[in-house]
Amino acid sequence: MARSANNSKQAAKKKPMLDMTAPDMKAPKTIELRVLRYCPSKDSAPAFGSFQVPYTDDMSVLQALQEIKATLDGSLAFRWSCRMAVCGSCGMMINGEPKLACNTFLRDLAPKPVTIEPLQNFPIERDLVVTVGDFVKKIESIYPYIMPKAPKTIEQGTYLQTPAQMEEYASFADCINCMLCYAACPQFGANPDFIGPGAMALLQRYSSDSRDGGQQARLDRIRGEDGVWSCTAVGLCSEVCPKQVDPANAVNQNKSKSALDFFLSRLRSKESVS
Amino acid sequence: MSESRPYLRAQPRHWWAHQPYRAYTIRELSGVALAIYAAILLAGLVCLARGPDAFEAFRHFLASPVSLLIHLLLLAAAIWHMWTWFQILPKTMPKLVWRGKLIRQDVMSRTATLAAVACSIALLALFVVVGANI
Repeated sequence: MARSANNSKQAAKKKPMLDMTAPDMKAPKTIELRVLRYCPSKDSAPAFGSFQVPYTDDMSVLQALQEIKATLDGSLAFRWSCRMAVCGSCGMMINGEPKLACNTFLRDLAPKPVTIEPLQNFPIERDLVVTVGDFVKKIESIYPYIMPKAPKTIEQGTYLQTPAQMEEYASFADCINCMLCYAACPQFGANPDFIGPGAMALLQRYSSDSRDGGQQARLDRIRGEDGVWSCTAVGLCSEVCPKQVDPANAVNQNKSKSALDFFLSRLRSKESVS
Repeated sequence: MSESRPYLRAQPRHWWAHQPYRAYTIRELSGVALAIYAAILLAGLVCLARGPDAFEAFRHFLASPVSLLIHLLLLAAAIWHMWTWFQILPKTMPKLVWRGKLIRQDVMSRTATLAAVACSIALLALFVVVGANI
């Protein structure tokens, strides 16, 4: 009796393995990828190219692009490196949304055709590769390092910090510079000189660090329309962030600081005149 | 030798009218509804300053079906504005750390919304009590 009960338990356990409705990882399925192509030496403007790609349920969009490059069209250009949402290289517009190609799976998009475009709001170098020079310059411009309030010598020891002090900036340190937030930001689309959400997240990471003393230098950088003031709190930058960095929070915290700095700087200049 | 000729695609002209930006546009427009309501109140004050006849005409307008419809629409817009504003509130605030841990953004939104609802109910109750005693 006990044995038959055991057997039926085993049979129940095995049943899902034999279930014909379960997704078969090796079934030969294909999906259509519509990829925006642009070759600067041949094309006057980008145009869509279509590819039928065999796929399995564990395949990411990045793997599909690699499959195209390996078997269908070796000239397809796209950036990638880590395949695990850490390097931030494979950001692109997938069905109109800024996403990491390595972190987006074909099973969630099938059976409809998938549209793949380079990141919105950036100049296209070739196919899915965009120009990143301006973004890097913005990152460099916000002093992305700790500027100690009072520099210490090695003999004086390390700069200490409590876990609570670290909590204040820890999430901003998770940014992987994938630029998805810039592709989601309509104000960056309207004003390419706007410092933008990603650089502001990095700025906040350093300015809210208890060991840092570079707040004023960074506030001077973010004044005006090209600083924080192009932001209208659309908030989509935080929604598309694959690392939950919340750049919208970084920008808007600094709007308050920039406004206060504006009034304080007027007081300072009056003091210096008198 | 590879050629570099970056191509910048133009931003769609009516980006604000399309997904995913439509919710943002509606949130901002609901602020305009609040300004319209403030203008109606201001018009009432101006009528009050002009004398009893003008104020009576304003009261007559308030009781009209058109006015009731406008006020219903403005009330809906005001409630939507409050709701969406408190949804985005945590994005505009410094991070709050309580006993070494971050306070979650949804907790901040919910607390602020509840406070606004409580204040609105208290204000309404006050008007009902004061109104009954006049």
